[in-house]
Amino acid sequence: MRLAIPHQQRMPLAIAALGFLFLGLFLLYPLFNVFSASVLDADGEKFTLANYFKVLGRPFYRAAVTNTLAIGVTATLTTMLISVPFAFALARLPVPGKAAILALAAMPLVLPSFVSAYAIVLLLGRAGIVTQWLNAWGIGFGSIYGAGGIVLVYTLTLYPYVLLPTMAGFKAVDVSVEEAAQSLGSSPRRTLWTVTLPIVIPSILAGGLLVFIETLENFGVPFVLAEDMPIFAVEAFKLFIGETAPNPSSAGVLGVLLILTTAAVLLIQRRYLSARRFATGARAAPPILRVGTGLRIAAAVYCWTVVLLALVPFFAIVVLSFMEFRGPVLHPNFSLDNFRILFDRSTRPLLNTLLFATMAAIAVTLVGVPIAYVVTRVRSTLATVLDVIATLPFAIAGTVLAIGFVVSFNSGWLILTGGPLIMVLAYTVRKVPFAVRSSSAILHQIDPSLEEASISLGRSPLQTFGRILVPLMLGGILSGFVLTWVTVASELSATVVLYSGSWRTLTVVMFQALESGGGGVATAAASTLIVVTLLPIALLYRLVRRYELS
Amino acid sequence: MTGIVIEGVERSFGSVRAVDGVNLTVGDGEFFTLLGPSGCGKTTLLRMIAGFCELDGGEIRFGAKRIDRLPAHTRDIGMVFQNYAVFPNLTVAGNVAYGLKARRVAGTELARRVDEALALVQLAGYGERWPHQLSGGQLQRVAIARALVIRPQVLLFDEPLSNLDARLRVSMRAEIRELQKSLGITAIYVTHDQEEAMSVSDRIALMQSGKLEQVGAPAEIYRNPTSRFAAEFMGTTNLIEARTLGRDGAGMVSLRPEALRLDSEAPAGWPRVGGVIAHVEILGPITRLDVRLADGSLLKVAALDEPHRTLAPGAAVMLAYDPARVTVLT
Repeated sequence: MRLAIPHQQRMPLAIAALGFLFLGLFLLYPLFNVFSASVLDADGEKFTLANYFKVLGRPFYRAAVTNTLAIGVTATLTTMLISVPFAFALARLPVPGKAAILALAAMPLVLPSFVSAYAIVLLLGRAGIVTQWLNAWGIGFGSIYGAGGIVLVYTLTLYPYVLLPTMAGFKAVDVSVEEAAQSLGSSPRRTLWTVTLPIVIPSILAGGLLVFIETLENFGVPFVLAEDMPIFAVEAFKLFIGETAPNPSSAGVLGVLLILTTAAVLLIQRRYLSARRFATGARAAPPILRVGTGLRIAAAVYCWTVVLLALVPFFAIVVLSFMEFRGPVLHPNFSLDNFRILFDRSTRPLLNTLLFATMAAIAVTLVGVPIAYVVTRVRSTLATVLDVIATLPFAIAGTVLAIGFVVSFNSGWLILTGGPLIMVLAYTVRKVPFAVRSSSAILHQIDPSLEEASISLGRSPLQTFGRILVPLMLGGILSGFVLTWVTVASELSATVVLYSGSWRTLTVVMFQALESGGGGVATAAASTLIVVTLLPIALLYRLVRRYELS
Repeated sequence: MTGIVIEGVERSFGSVRAVDGVNLTVGDGEFFTLLGPSGCGKTTLLRMIAGFCELDGGEIRFGAKRIDRLPAHTRDIGMVFQNYAVFPNLTVAGNVAYGLKARRVAGTELARRVDEALALVQLAGYGERWPHQLSGGQLQRVAIARALVIRPQVLLFDEPLSNLDARLRVSMRAEIRELQKSLGITAIYVTHDQEEAMSVSDRIALMQSGKLEQVGAPAEIYRNPTSRFAAEFMGTTNLIEARTLGRDGAGMVSLRPEALRLDSEAPAGWPRVGGVIAHVEILGPITRLDVRLADGSLLKVAALDEPHRTLAPGAAVMLAYDPARVTVLT
């Protein structure tokens, strides 16, 4: 019996081994430590379930669980409510400026949501501009702090997660199915409710699920808006920072509960969606419906309102950052003081943000693309396991992963805390699923016989990967790179746990300014962050356009 | 040069024995075809030779050199794929040069050989075009030029014509055969199309369920099929009990439709059998008849077109058959 590995499998196996090593060390090991912290006593020695009883025994933390779930469900429903008609209008109704709407609608996905939350506070908070203006007219409205404001911000920033897949779903409906319904005597309205919508429901739910998970994990928005209301991710962070015992057991408990919740949601979704796939295999997008003037105007107004409303907070932040702040109080005079104060103190946060985003984007590409190759090209249990592990970070809140990093790498043989590397590694692990997903989507469209042709012509599998696959995947790799870069630049939840000393980022500056009431610096940091995220997107867009035109 | 020896080659996928103990010897410069229905193991066998599929057992040699454990890229093989597999990110010339560059051919030698190969497949002057500007037939020519230009020891064709339209298939197969013969490269060709296999091959290996059913020259397999499967797969045939034709023995025989004629058009010495016309199709050059015999079995007859003949369903008819073309199946 020869134990030599067959030559066809050498490269995939080598990649898989490296992938397991990386994800094992920087994902599974930290998660295991979070779990063990939650089941060990304060000294970290004996097994106990007391931590769970202690944390869940306190009404405050039980409320954190119920609040988080309630807000998540509400926000998921409101995003669906807003996005489904929006998606239908974009897919099937004559709405002017569809390309512009789509480009603008994708922007909240890359802009940091806590900036939007902060803008809402500046506009509608107790001392908010709009609030004061309305008060001067004698008009009052309810508080935007707490659940209401959080749901509002989630709805405005997360609706594209439902809009985009739902629109794709509406466009993928084979029009002959609708025609069949109508030829059987169903009115257009009834056809929409009984045929078209049911076909699209899996897409709506898939998007809704993304929204729900995003709300579970989000740290920044509740941090800005929740005030006294306990929220999962925020309380985990506070517990971790506040815990003085050597074993961060309480934070561990919240972390484990958070992971279990997300995992449960994902499992339910898998169960439900796997049984419901209504691919109708449309050859062309269904035609734009002919509708009356009234409906046409209503659709256009609706679409443009939603898109612009979601961007108003970001626009407001940019405007406000050029105004004069005295402490947290705003004065309507033009001023560059905020930026001067921000950058006089140090340009390091900006440089750190750029540096970390670049390093993490490179690392994610280097880790994610080869893993995507194994996951799509190899059919074995090994590849399936790798796929599951590489998708796992998607279900792990940044706060929890970061806590795991601190617990794992602040002593022992590998000490990373206190430096920049731990942040880059955490970002890399968090974004690996995106790189794997986007790369494997392209790989599925590349015929494996292209690789075989290259190999039979005398190029080794490794050379074939570099000479054939990488050029063919370049567009996807590049957009994955930019997306990683942009989301890392505005990452907050892992950053606030892991930053140290001079390795602060722009998001940390914002975070600290919010804590200490330095509104001016916060707005300046926020607008800088907006520019930093939008510039690469704009560049990529131009690059793609030029590439497509040539 | 290079003959190919395949000895006791096996491969299973789960419980399916895709290739089940195949022994073959392909001569140097021979055009050899693996023919069979889908799932018969022909493509798996080809991919084993190419190095894209492992062997569970047995070995494959090019000449005296064992190659089945060599990495695919070191086997020196030219392969033409079903879906062309032309690299979309390279020009036509870039595609053809790809294998040469891997062999460190450069400069004027590279340009000369690329031009030569393109001329050989009648694509001279197409070097600067991009694959998306070419038709399916032209893409397949690029794929062939790319495989030939490296002067491989062995050429492999994996159903290369199945994505082309019928007319193009017929002209391309003649071209492929001509190219292979003029270059003298040993070729293995996989197809499920019996007619295509017969038109290009020196020899055919008919495969079923991972095993070789029959190996031989096209005409030999057609005329003397050794099994019911071979008789049926190599074209239309009548599979009937020997008794039905009034012959001795209990087994089945195969009788091709063109070995049957109408009584008046057949030589006197041929045996006769009577029946009733069940169906008539005049296809142009030939007329197809279904004739029901007294015991209820149906005989298919293919006769050349004959203007003075009237045949109508329901009419009694006397048929004659060539006794030399009755194949007894074992």
